[in-house]
Amino acid sequence: MNWESWSAFWDMGGRGFFVWGSYGALLIAVIAELVSLRQARKSALQALQEDHDS
Amino acid sequence: MSLRVAVGAVFRREMQLFARRKSDWANPLMFFLIVCSLFPFAVGSESERLKLIGIGVIFVGALLAAMLSLPRLFDEDARDGSLELLLTSPEPLAVLILARVAALSLALGVALAVVSPVFALFYALPGDVAAMLALTVAMAVPTLLLVGAIAAALLVSARGGAILTAVLVLPLTIPTLIFGAGAALRVLYGESPAAELALQAAFMLLALALCPLAAAAALKISTD
Amino acid sequence: MARTEQQSNEKYGGRWFWRYASPAAFFPLAGRIEALCWVLAIVLSAIGLYLGFFVAPTDAQQGEVYRVIFIHVPAAWMAMVIYLAMAFWSLLGLVLGTRLSFMMSHALAPTGAIMAVISLWTGALWGRPTWGTYWVWDARLTSTLILFFLYVGYMALAASFDDKKKGDRASALIALVGAINVPIIYFSVKWWNTLHQGSSVRPGSSSMATTMLTAMLIMTFAFWAYSIAAAMHRLRTGVIEREGKAAWLRDAMKGWLR
Repeated sequence: MNWESWSAFWDMGGRGFFVWGSYGALLIAVIAELVSLRQARKSALQALQEDHDS
Repeated sequence: MSLRVAVGAVFRREMQLFARRKSDWANPLMFFLIVCSLFPFAVGSESERLKLIGIGVIFVGALLAAMLSLPRLFDEDARDGSLELLLTSPEPLAVLILARVAALSLALGVALAVVSPVFALFYALPGDVAAMLALTVAMAVPTLLLVGAIAAALLVSARGGAILTAVLVLPLTIPTLIFGAGAALRVLYGESPAAELALQAAFMLLALALCPLAAAAALKISTD
Repeated sequence: MARTEQQSNEKYGGRWFWRYASPAAFFPLAGRIEALCWVLAIVLSAIGLYLGFFVAPTDAQQGEVYRVIFIHVPAAWMAMVIYLAMAFWSLLGLVLGTRLSFMMSHALAPTGAIMAVISLWTGALWGRPTWGTYWVWDARLTSTLILFFLYVGYMALAASFDDKKKGDRASALIALVGAINVPIIYFSVKWWNTLHQGSSVRPGSSSMATTMLTAMLIMTFAFWAYSIAAAMHRLRTGVIEREGKAAWLRDAMKGWLR
């Protein structure tokens, strides 16, 4: 284990902003992509459903 | 009809059109002039600062001006149906496209290259730099037109085609920009521009060899 | 019309993989690959991040902030690799005419673009405390920026065509033109960099502790798995959109439709 305490972990030697700003951006990007994947699949299936019904 | 005759005919037709429709090369030239004139207003008129940015501004201005004339390569012919003639001609399409691009390069490239040294004055650049700029712009414009022909062919008559063409082509012109402006910068610093010139010439030749073929393929794709 | 596996294999003369050129055959396989890769992505990320944060030591020069490389480098790699994959599928599509190849290329592009953006963002946040500025025109960052432009150009071009088949071939061509240009651009930018040694040059891969390297490698595989999973998902969505009328899809979707 590297860290004496949780606050040391979040602080990252004073560079917390840069480290968590990076990982946070990645998290946001991944979530955004997953949401977009889901939305696209939904609309495709919906279009298929409408086609099927008509 | 022999290949030489066909190419000559295409080339001559293009030059005649240029002579008749001055706006085809006059408008890009005006654009070039205005763009180069804008930067001092934004950056300040101290000649030392202008000297630093001058080469870059002039070179990018020339590229953008050449960019604007790209739709002209195929769009009009698509509108009046003469593109079909080009496509169904027995001569290899790549060569015909090359003839067209060559004509545009000659008209526009020469115009831009001749005018560049004038702008060197705006930016307090010495005469030898101005001369080098003229040379490298003269090489860069054909390179850009060759690469741009591919995008222009893909986007024949597309709505908003000009902007998309620019978005597609400008990243691909970065090497020629680096070496063209780099050569002029070398002269500014009193160093030898030989390496940059050689590399820029190499890219121009590479474009000459590959782009007409790619543009022909692109034209076939978009007019299918 | 469904075929048995044996019939398919006979048709393709034993070169079994050719049958996967058909969207119908590839659809279920893509689903399985996708599921596997989501799992791999999660597991590998967990391991990689644990190693990176709790096992890898503090760096002598950079302190803790170096830990950004565990996502910066994999993202940069993927931005590059995905573009090459796009170019490969584009070439395949143009040469063989298989529409699944084009769809694969389309499916990869958004993920690649996102990787490029992440690479640039994390690179900036890493650069600021380490080398003083958020942005530096070094060869790798600059090339990644240009790569991002190429991605956007590809997606914009594909989207601008109403005729999907034309759009496929047009964007495939531009992907290839871009791919040929990438080494040229990288070389030019490197040259340009040495000319203008304004800012400090970022050190290359200096000696890294083994644990750091291991964590980074594992994260690279995690990003790879994630990218494949996302691409497979997008591909399947693309197949649903395009092949919607086909009978095999209706049969397969019977479970999904009410």
